[in-house]
Amino acid sequence: MSRIINTLLIGISGGSIYSLMSLALVLVWRSTRVVNFAQAGQAILSTYIGYVVVTHTDNYWLAFPVALLSGALIGALVDIFLIRILARRANSGPVAAIAPVIATLGLLGLIRAIVGMIWGGDLRRFKLPVTNHGFTFGHTTIPFAPINLLIVVTTVIVMLIFSVIFQRTNLGLALRASAFSPEIARLAGVRVDLTRTIGWAFAGAAGAIAGVLVTPTNYLSPNSLDLLLVSGFVAAVIGGLESLIGAALGGLVLGISLAFVLEYISSSLAFPVAFVVLMAVLLIKPAGLFGGKRVRSA
Amino acid sequence: MLKRKPTTQVQIDMDKNIARRKIIGAAFFIFLGIALYVASNIVDELRVYQGATVAVYVVAISSIILLTGYSGQISLGHGALMAVGAYAAVLSRNYWNFPIPLTFAVAVLAAALFGALLGMAAGRLSGPYLAGTTLALAVGLPSLANQFKILGGEEGLTYDVGFPPLALGQDFTQYKWFFWIAALAALAATWVIFNVLGSRYGRQWRALRSNPTAAALLGVHVARSKVLAFTISSGVAGLAGALMSMTISLVTPSAFPLSLSFAIVTGAVLAGVTLLTGSIVGAVVLVAIPEVTAALATHLGGSEKVTSNLPGLMMSALLILSVLFFPNGPQLHRRKTRKS
Repeated sequence: MSRIINTLLIGISGGSIYSLMSLALVLVWRSTRVVNFAQAGQAILSTYIGYVVVTHTDNYWLAFPVALLSGALIGALVDIFLIRILARRANSGPVAAIAPVIATLGLLGLIRAIVGMIWGGDLRRFKLPVTNHGFTFGHTTIPFAPINLLIVVTTVIVMLIFSVIFQRTNLGLALRASAFSPEIARLAGVRVDLTRTIGWAFAGAAGAIAGVLVTPTNYLSPNSLDLLLVSGFVAAVIGGLESLIGAALGGLVLGISLAFVLEYISSSLAFPVAFVVLMAVLLIKPAGLFGGKRVRSA
Repeated sequence: MLKRKPTTQVQIDMDKNIARRKIIGAAFFIFLGIALYVASNIVDELRVYQGATVAVYVVAISSIILLTGYSGQISLGHGALMAVGAYAAVLSRNYWNFPIPLTFAVAVLAAALFGALLGMAAGRLSGPYLAGTTLALAVGLPSLANQFKILGGEEGLTYDVGFPPLALGQDFTQYKWFFWIAALAALAATWVIFNVLGSRYGRQWRALRSNPTAAALLGVHVARSKVLAFTISSGVAGLAGALMSMTISLVTPSAFPLSLSFAIVTGAVLAGVTLLTGSIVGAVVLVAIPEVTAALATHLGGSEKVTSNLPGLMMSALLILSVLFFPNGPQLHRRKTRKS
């Protein structure tokens, strides 16, 4: 029994990270209809910036907001200097539909090369904000540690902030309106371009948070977040790519199912399971387990 | 397909056009073959080896051009399909001692079968979904090879095509032998693709790419047509994988990293993704970039960190620039500007 609960807790902690990455992908998808493969690159760059702060000041709690803000800034810059130009230039012809995929892929490679040039390819340790020794109850120590608690709590707070912004503020209304129908939103006086850039900034911040939360439990290298990008994508597809709640739940579903497979079946099956889940969702319920009825054709 | 009798003038013209296209194509291929034969005898050993690599990339890039440029689907996982082909080839060689040409056929068949399964899922997906799914494949599949003992784990399996036949002379080197095999396979593969693209299927794919609804109305079976494109493209990628492992004599999971999948997509985009002959340009660029950046790095005298990342930087920058300035390939761009 305690084994089940422990696995569940670890799954929730891992799933929280997937949720954040998936949130970053969903925010961009909703605002611009682009699956942002560069998200892993943007997140790794923000994480390295956080790493610089943490090695110089030895203070994780200063690195966290710095990484978050730089993530938001990077996201906004990517939208302004790449995606807007791309939307203007590559809007017709045979490969227009896949041009954003290729462009964000190129950006991923570019950021990774730049990060490699500055910091090199060696694995680095990111200081833990709290211990990764499991909580102890009486004489038993469980795998769930303060760092996992921090991950879960931060994710919940981020999700709450985003849902308040989206549901209760004018900015959220503008974001939803320009995602739903850019033309009508523009006619109603929403500055759609600016709103999109804000969506990209939010996404960049969410990716950066995922980066600085997961990296202390692991190591840091120019491509250490690539797997997270794939997991985030799987989570986003499970959630239907459209809804923020779907992204959060998709991440949890993936995290918990992976944790159970790792614990009870085999540690080498993590990837096949994720891939099978992805294929199954795409084939059986392409609108996502929590998605609406709209058929995806974009 | 029924052989129809040409009735109208338009149809006679069209048949003439197709026939002319075939003759020009055949002449081009024969000329290319002779040119390659002559070239392999005069350039030095390193260039011959690079030539073999170019031939491998030509095959890989052609598979992407067929898939993306013609049927409008994208794959970020062709590196994984190359791995499928390579492992199939090496297993058939090591366990059943198949002759070399047959191992290539096995590679094509295995990758095509795998691609057909993937394509059945992929035919229902489009754009970003397909990209994400194939990306997941590229990240995960090669590492899966570590789990099975028969696949040799991290060290991989050796793939030995043997020494060049003695009949070719004493000073016929191993690299030259690689080059001959790779170049011949590349010519054959390109020839097959060239004809497939000129056939009914190639036209169906182009119709599908421009407007799926209109294509369906004209009687194109959209899903089946997409799966066919994915299957053929995967088979070609499998051949590229087998050829690549031949040139390095080894099949390991680390030979098929994510960057390989990205590199061949980059090559295809640089080549102008809608033009088959562009695959040669793309392949040469892919082989030239590390060379050029190495020369640049020694000239500038940068640190190891900079020099090792320079090829990636250059390739990504080229990818972004080409998609920004020639999203549909240079030749379509040129046609458009000439019209306006």
